[in-house]
Amino acid sequence: MRQYPIDYGLVLSAVLFAIGMAGVFVRRNVIFVLLCIEIMLNAAGLAFVLGGARWGQADGQVMFIFILAMAAAEVSVGLALIMRMFHRFKSLDTNEIARMKG
Amino acid sequence: MSSEQILALLPILVTSAASVVVMLLVALKRSHGLVFGVTVGSLLVALAAIGSSVSVMPQAVSSLLIMDRFALLYIGLILAATLAVALLSYAYLESRAERREEYYILLLLAAAGSEVLAAAGSYVSFFLGLEILSISLYGLVAYRRQTPLGIEAGVKYLILAGASSGFILFGMALIYAEQGSLQFAALAAAKGSSFDVVSLVGFALIVVGVGFKLAVVPFHLWTPDVYQGAPAPVTAFVATVSKGAMFALLLRYFIQLDLYQYGAVVLVFGIIAALSILAGNILGLLQNNVKRMLAYSSIAHVGYLLVALLASGPLAVSSVTFYLIAYFITNLGAFGVVGYLSSGEREAEEIDDYRGLAWRRPWVAGALTASLLSLAGIPLTAGFIGKFFIIAAGAGSRLWALLIILVVGSVVSFFYYFRLVLAIFREPDAGAQVPYPSASLAGGIALSVLTLLLVWLGVYPAPLVNLLGGMTSGLL
Amino acid sequence: MELLWLVPALPLLGFALLTLARRLVRGVAALIGVGSIGLSMLVTLWIAYSFLVSPPQSGAASDTVWSWIALGDFRVSVAFYLDSFSLVMILVITIVGFFIHLYSAGYMEGDDGFARFFAYMNLFTASMLILVLADNLLLLLVGWEGVGLCSYLLIGFWYRDPANARAAVKAFVVTRTGDAAMLVGFLLLFTSLGTLNIQDLLSKAVSQWPSGSGIAIAAAALILAGALGKSAQLPLQTWLPDAMAGPTPVSALIHAATMVTAGVYLVARTHAIFALAPPVQLAVGIIGVATLLIAGFSAITQRDIKRVLAYSTMSQIGYMFLALGVGAWGAALFHFVTHAFFKSLLFLAAGSVILAMHHEQDLLKMGGLWKRAPVAFWTFLVGALAMAAVPPLISGFSSKDWILSWVWSSPAGGPVLYVLALLGVLLTATYTARLVTLAFFGRERDVPEHVHPGGALIAVPLIVLAVPALFLGLIQTPRSLGGVNLFASFVQGVLPEPGAEGPPSTELLLMAVSTLVALAGLVLGWALGVSQARAHLARREAEPAGSPLHRFLLSGWGFDWLYDRAIVGPYRWLARINQSDVADWIARGFAALSRLLNRLLSLAQTGRLRWYATALGIGAVAIVAMVVFL
Repeated sequence: MRQYPIDYGLVLSAVLFAIGMAGVFVRRNVIFVLLCIEIMLNAAGLAFVLGGARWGQADGQVMFIFILAMAAAEVSVGLALIMRMFHRFKSLDTNEIARMKG
Repeated sequence: MSSEQILALLPILVTSAASVVVMLLVALKRSHGLVFGVTVGSLLVALAAIGSSVSVMPQAVSSLLIMDRFALLYIGLILAATLAVALLSYAYLESRAERREEYYILLLLAAAGSEVLAAAGSYVSFFLGLEILSISLYGLVAYRRQTPLGIEAGVKYLILAGASSGFILFGMALIYAEQGSLQFAALAAAKGSSFDVVSLVGFALIVVGVGFKLAVVPFHLWTPDVYQGAPAPVTAFVATVSKGAMFALLLRYFIQLDLYQYGAVVLVFGIIAALSILAGNILGLLQNNVKRMLAYSSIAHVGYLLVALLASGPLAVSSVTFYLIAYFITNLGAFGVVGYLSSGEREAEEIDDYRGLAWRRPWVAGALTASLLSLAGIPLTAGFIGKFFIIAAGAGSRLWALLIILVVGSVVSFFYYFRLVLAIFREPDAGAQVPYPSASLAGGIALSVLTLLLVWLGVYPAPLVNLLGGMTSGLL
Repeated sequence: MELLWLVPALPLLGFALLTLARRLVRGVAALIGVGSIGLSMLVTLWIAYSFLVSPPQSGAASDTVWSWIALGDFRVSVAFYLDSFSLVMILVITIVGFFIHLYSAGYMEGDDGFARFFAYMNLFTASMLILVLADNLLLLLVGWEGVGLCSYLLIGFWYRDPANARAAVKAFVVTRTGDAAMLVGFLLLFTSLGTLNIQDLLSKAVSQWPSGSGIAIAAAALILAGALGKSAQLPLQTWLPDAMAGPTPVSALIHAATMVTAGVYLVARTHAIFALAPPVQLAVGIIGVATLLIAGFSAITQRDIKRVLAYSTMSQIGYMFLALGVGAWGAALFHFVTHAFFKSLLFLAAGSVILAMHHEQDLLKMGGLWKRAPVAFWTFLVGALAMAAVPPLISGFSSKDWILSWVWSSPAGGPVLYVLALLGVLLTATYTARLVTLAFFGRERDVPEHVHPGGALIAVPLIVLAVPALFLGLIQTPRSLGGVNLFASFVQGVLPEPGAEGPPSTELLLMAVSTLVALAGLVLGWALGVSQARAHLARREAEPAGSPLHRFLLSGWGFDWLYDRAIVGPYRWLARINQSDVADWIARGFAALSRLLNRLLSLAQTGRLRWYATALGIGAVAIVAMVVFL
């Protein structure tokens, strides 16, 4: 089996992170924004797993599990809020929720 | 885990257990008074538990939490502030028809998360504390979920805090992949004269996340919106406890890794501080919404805190902590008054709502005026002493450029603080007077204690200064 | 001395209670207001007793209540310093203050602002005590500004009358002119000597500055400016006659007995610096004697009973400044003490007269009041004789004689100053006698049917204060009259008096001369009073036009006119034509810039989530770039 240097993996996770970040910047639908945040979190998780593999420690994997738990919690709160938002604004467009400014 | 370690952790354990107890209590019986009583009681027990923790400190609990003098002081601060927020919340929630009891579960959880942050000695506990705090705050910020502004604030905070968590996590992952450890202490031991590029990027990304929580420029844009949309007591919590816990972590991290020797880091924080002071004060200038105005003012105040942080030396830690305590008291007082005067579905947030307050509610007006004077840094208030120490620390470290900006920013800030003071003391409108809710005992007690502390620290700061004097030595 | 902090703290507590508790019952307010000063007086008496029984080792005790800010060498403490000098000051302030408060409980009865009045009075007393007890310049400044503020509030106490408010503003602005210079002086002392502690400052100044050096002269002159403003001395004296707009107890406490002598206190406290600056010290003496004469002449012409007393206060403080100018520190302090008693007595008795006259203050409308208001008359007479310096028992005689003999014998004095001071004695006796004659003797002119000179609350303080006004002179008498030297030896340690007195025969001669002059003045004043009363009866309502000289003196030598033309007018003109000068451009430019930036930065607060997230990303990129490339 070929061994790839860890940097390749980090580059991959960085690309994933960038995709997620770009999604947060450009998407207007709030559900997609939430999904893109998940991508950012998973990019971080991937980097943790890579780190754990590099140093032969369990810490990286443990952190990944923490991230999964946190992401689940965030999504559950997030979806509940998004339901309220849809209920109230009849829209999922983030531009709709811009009443407070200045 | 040894019994000593359990004893050391007692404040955090009590807070966490209290949230579970309150949760079960809500499942059994909905009673606002009961839940409030249990919350206040458990916060008091947790505060008392600090006394027992002091006897076994310093104590490292596994590699995650470090219960030293520094952590305990900040935990005490967090618990006291949470207690004040709880007291201020009771009347506020009582006047609302929505479900009130869950609020206290979230409040206790957020406090627990903040305590973990204050004691964090590793990226793992940093992350856990941060997320416990953040996710509870999502719920709290959006607690006025019937109103469009509440939902708007909630969604904004959720998305942006989620993204900033992503930045922090990715930064941590990069550092871990390069350094092979998640401990601050190991990191401090391993660091050479300079870090490799990947670790540097990791640090920078963590700064982004920390900057977001502290609401400093350029990560401040969310602040006024969230402060405005959140219920006033929650705004007080976000402005004080959430920022204070993050600042405690930043301070520990800064000192443990001795980041002062990295010119780039100092430069980045210097620029952030300068921009925060200027932007915060300038944005507050013409603001008619009191909650937004206080939001901008809090951006500037974190800028002042960063100036103290950058002034290295023994004076820095104690001056940062003193200013932070003054900031806590002052902002709790100011937002507390906003919450105290908000009734039913109406937040008292426009500057016109405060017109003639001195004639209608002289005591409340006194508390708000004292808070505003302290924010402006007028002598005989805690804010003055705090600013004095920051300037002294800055002058000791020759941070002249930052000090000039600090002074300019303070001068600008007088305008909007005194604008509100002026409104308070104007003759009330004879015609349409904003209805204020009737006085509440719990809120009144909290406000009086805060105001007394404000003046007391301004007149007789010596005991607290002496207490803080030994802080640096106590840092593990 | 552990109780020292209680002396200012008790009135301060009284102020806090009176301010915080709104809508107090009148009796409770009076109890708090008067009681706090009474307790403070008792504490002061106890302190004085223990000070006399067991004097502190170095002649002074200091009590650090707490340290406010401590940073390395820089330390600001709330610390009180007690030596024989400040002990005399707090004794006078609390004793006179207590009786004036007691009197006020009767005088202000029925006033709407009863509790407010006592709140201000208590705050004033606390500030005054802090001022004289302060051990560092910052605390002294707190007291100094505190008394200024209370003076402003109390002059304008009946603020619904715009004239009163104007008088209050005038007093504040004029004294502030001096205060500004004084503040510069304090900063000069701090930056060049590196400490705020007054005793350290003085000893450092003595050891570091050569006599007559520029810095000592500058510091002394700047401090003097502050003292002149507070003590209503030339050229900053114009506010005091107008300050009589306040209630009469206020005039007694603030504008006669205590606050206006703060300048005397300040100069005496820093006398070591003045001794290093002989030209400034000479100026002190000249200013003192000039004020003494100018105010004396004006007092002769006044019709308003309180204005006569106001001008007499200026002129008596002129004596104190004269004494300071010739280095008679102890004599100045002793004149302060006697003056505090007899002048507060005069004001309070005048207040009783004003009550009796249903708030009519015009002397020409009074007359024959001696049998209508006997208590006021007899006590007023005691005060008047004390002020006119008629021997032998009367207190003013001892103090004034002490000053005069110093003026004669001191190297800084001399015959010229002495003759001028003697002229002052004549003037003092004249206006005093005229005042008494017009108010109490002769036929009743416009005295109301029913007179109410006040009840026991008014009478008791008058009678009590008359005792020291009568006998206080006994603790310090000239050598030819027993040579009692209690006072001088008591303050000797703090306010040293180099022995420079002439032979006893000279002293006796001087005393005889001044007594004769005073008696001549009394006769002159009586004659003036009688003739003016007659003229008034003859003319009745027709307003006397008076000679130009009379009008000139009546207006206080036209200083108000002069200042209006020479300072206020040009200042306003300058301000008007200079409405947009460079300083304004800067200020406006700063404001406009702030507004512009505010608008620009507000553009970023769009409320749009996507933009907020993008800004987060931009910030992240910027920080990463900075950290990586720097």
